[in-house]
Amino acid sequence: MKTTLFAGTASLFLLFFNLSSALAVDGAAILQQVDRKMQPESYEMYRKLINVEPDGKSKEFVLYTVKKGQDKMVALFLSPASEKGRATLRLNENMWLYIPNVGKPIRITSLQSVVGGVFNNADILRLDFSVEYSVQQASEEGDHYLLVLKAKNATVAYDGLKMVVDKATLLPKTIECYAASGMLIKTLRYDKIKDFGGGIVSPSVLETDSPLYKGYKSVMITAKIQKRDFADEVFTLNYLSKVDELR
Amino acid sequence: MSFADRVLRHRAAALLLSLSLLVVPTSRTARAEAAFSLDAAEFEKKTWSNGGFAEIKWEHMDVRQGSALALLNMYDDPQADWDQLSGSLQLNGAYAKGIAQLHWLLNATGQEDTFGWRDRAEVYETYLNLAPASGTTASVGKKSYKWGKGYAWNPVGFINRTKDPNNPEEALEGFITSDLEIIRSFSGDLQNIALTTALLPVWQGVNEDFGAADNLNLAAKLYLLYLNTDIDFIVYSGNSRTTRFGGDFSRNLTTNFEIHGELAYIPTVDRVALDEQGRRMCQSGSATSSLIGIRYLTEFDLTSIIEYYHNGLGYTDEEMDRFYRRIAVGGEQWTLTGNDALLQQMQQLASQGYSRPNPGRDYLYARFSLKEPFDLLYFTPAATFIVNLDDQSFSATPELTYTGITNWELQLRFSLLNGDPSTEFGEKQNSNKLELRIRSFF
Repeated sequence: MKTTLFAGTASLFLLFFNLSSALAVDGAAILQQVDRKMQPESYEMYRKLINVEPDGKSKEFVLYTVKKGQDKMVALFLSPASEKGRATLRLNENMWLYIPNVGKPIRITSLQSVVGGVFNNADILRLDFSVEYSVQQASEEGDHYLLVLKAKNATVAYDGLKMVVDKATLLPKTIECYAASGMLIKTLRYDKIKDFGGGIVSPSVLETDSPLYKGYKSVMITAKIQKRDFADEVFTLNYLSKVDELR
Repeated sequence: MSFADRVLRHRAAALLLSLSLLVVPTSRTARAEAAFSLDAAEFEKKTWSNGGFAEIKWEHMDVRQGSALALLNMYDDPQADWDQLSGSLQLNGAYAKGIAQLHWLLNATGQEDTFGWRDRAEVYETYLNLAPASGTTASVGKKSYKWGKGYAWNPVGFINRTKDPNNPEEALEGFITSDLEIIRSFSGDLQNIALTTALLPVWQGVNEDFGAADNLNLAAKLYLLYLNTDIDFIVYSGNSRTTRFGGDFSRNLTTNFEIHGELAYIPTVDRVALDEQGRRMCQSGSATSSLIGIRYLTEFDLTSIIEYYHNGLGYTDEEMDRFYRRIAVGGEQWTLTGNDALLQQMQQLASQGYSRPNPGRDYLYARFSLKEPFDLLYFTPAATFIVNLDDQSFSATPELTYTGITNWELQLRFSLLNGDPSTEFGEKQNSNKLELRIRSFF
């Protein structure tokens, strides 16, 4: 009798254990879905960046951005006039800035900012999250998932991310970005989900602030995003002076 | 006015006030909404595009009394100091139709200084681009080339205009050329390859300042992005200048640390200098120039650019000293006899090499810029140092740039030039310069 009771309890335990394993959150799969819902693999996009100072003064930049695959991206400044024609290229961990007067691309780093304010180059030329980060921990909390991400290598701008993902839409709500020391560098907040057409439904506003820039905030607004394929040659140093010809 | 009228007017005023209270926040909200929105149609590509900037610059310079170059440039009209006020206009634009694009860059400057009024207008660039495919571009016209990875100097820039290390980011006048560029991309260790070939003619009225006339010159650059490193192989061949070979590289070692370098070799080149007796001589030989540099960004946004430059065509300390001594002799002749023949000879020699921005052999360039210190957005203080390593003379240039007003840039800069007698910066015309520059972009 005792043996039967033990066997039954053990079976129930095993059944429960298997069930909970099956229901465990698959962070990597969620992250990949977040990537695909946020933006297609290859696209062109128009967006505005706004840096807001504590006294309410702001400075705006308009960028035309194209991306191909997992690691190729170019952003061209369309406005203001003082920045017009500048272009940044990202090929995996390599980044360059082209300034028309200087006439040749110079290497820049992901932690620098070509626009000032809270956004750095890695925010502006962001690759898919799953390309740069692996999921260290994933959990379910009410109506959202919490993903703890770790940079895959030292060339990634942030050492760690804490991403809150909406369960219903599988879109991120907030992302906290941390340095290797554990210091919070900035918080990204996604808002205003918009149907851009072509099956792209994603947040149109990204707001960020940082304890390192008290009182300042930066906002990124996406106006148009559509799938488009480009030749690989577009993502080369020699093409940076000609990016406007793609529009 | 009746009581009823007064009540009516008060009510009307109250109503207007209430409406305005309603309207004001609404319009503020509307403005905020407008600022936080973007109409992509506004930025759709147009056939014509235009831009540029207008600039006003004021400069004050203190002349180093008794220095060789002050004597050479001002012997007949010596000054203790001088001021210069200039206005510039730079226009750039493009017209695109199908696979063809016409680009232009025009620059005009007028300046009033202690010596009078001067002005000039230049076509920096005007060229037609044809891009039948994204990896192939052909162009013809006047175009500026910026080959090389160095920030302050480019020994491999065989068809570049020589840039001013104090203003390396300014646009420069191009040469009339015809070029073809082919780009290919791959997956693997070799990610990109690009070949640029440029034909540069020198005829009467065409690129005459490049070199010997009646020649068609060829320059080519092969670019590789290999193992995350930019690599260029550059060659120039033609009779306007002697054949030369070069290579450069650039690579990010970490996210905030970049290293770059250039190496140029000229198998045979003529070089004009002064011999021990102070006579003009033309030497022939080979020359090797090199540059190695880094760019480093700290956690608190301090960008450091440091470069070492060896100029194989530069003058030794001794050669520079001979030049300064000949100017002193010329100055004495002028004072005693009123004869300026020797000073004029030295002016000619200066234009053949001695008065280049950095005519010496070995230099160190260091620039430190701190982005937005103390949370002050759009303020960038910077300091630039150029040291002649052979004679230990130097220039130090602190500056402050403000870009907080959209499409305006304000820059205040002070340069101090210092060195012992018979050193490069100790014999420059000015001992210091104060400069205020205001640019408005459109």
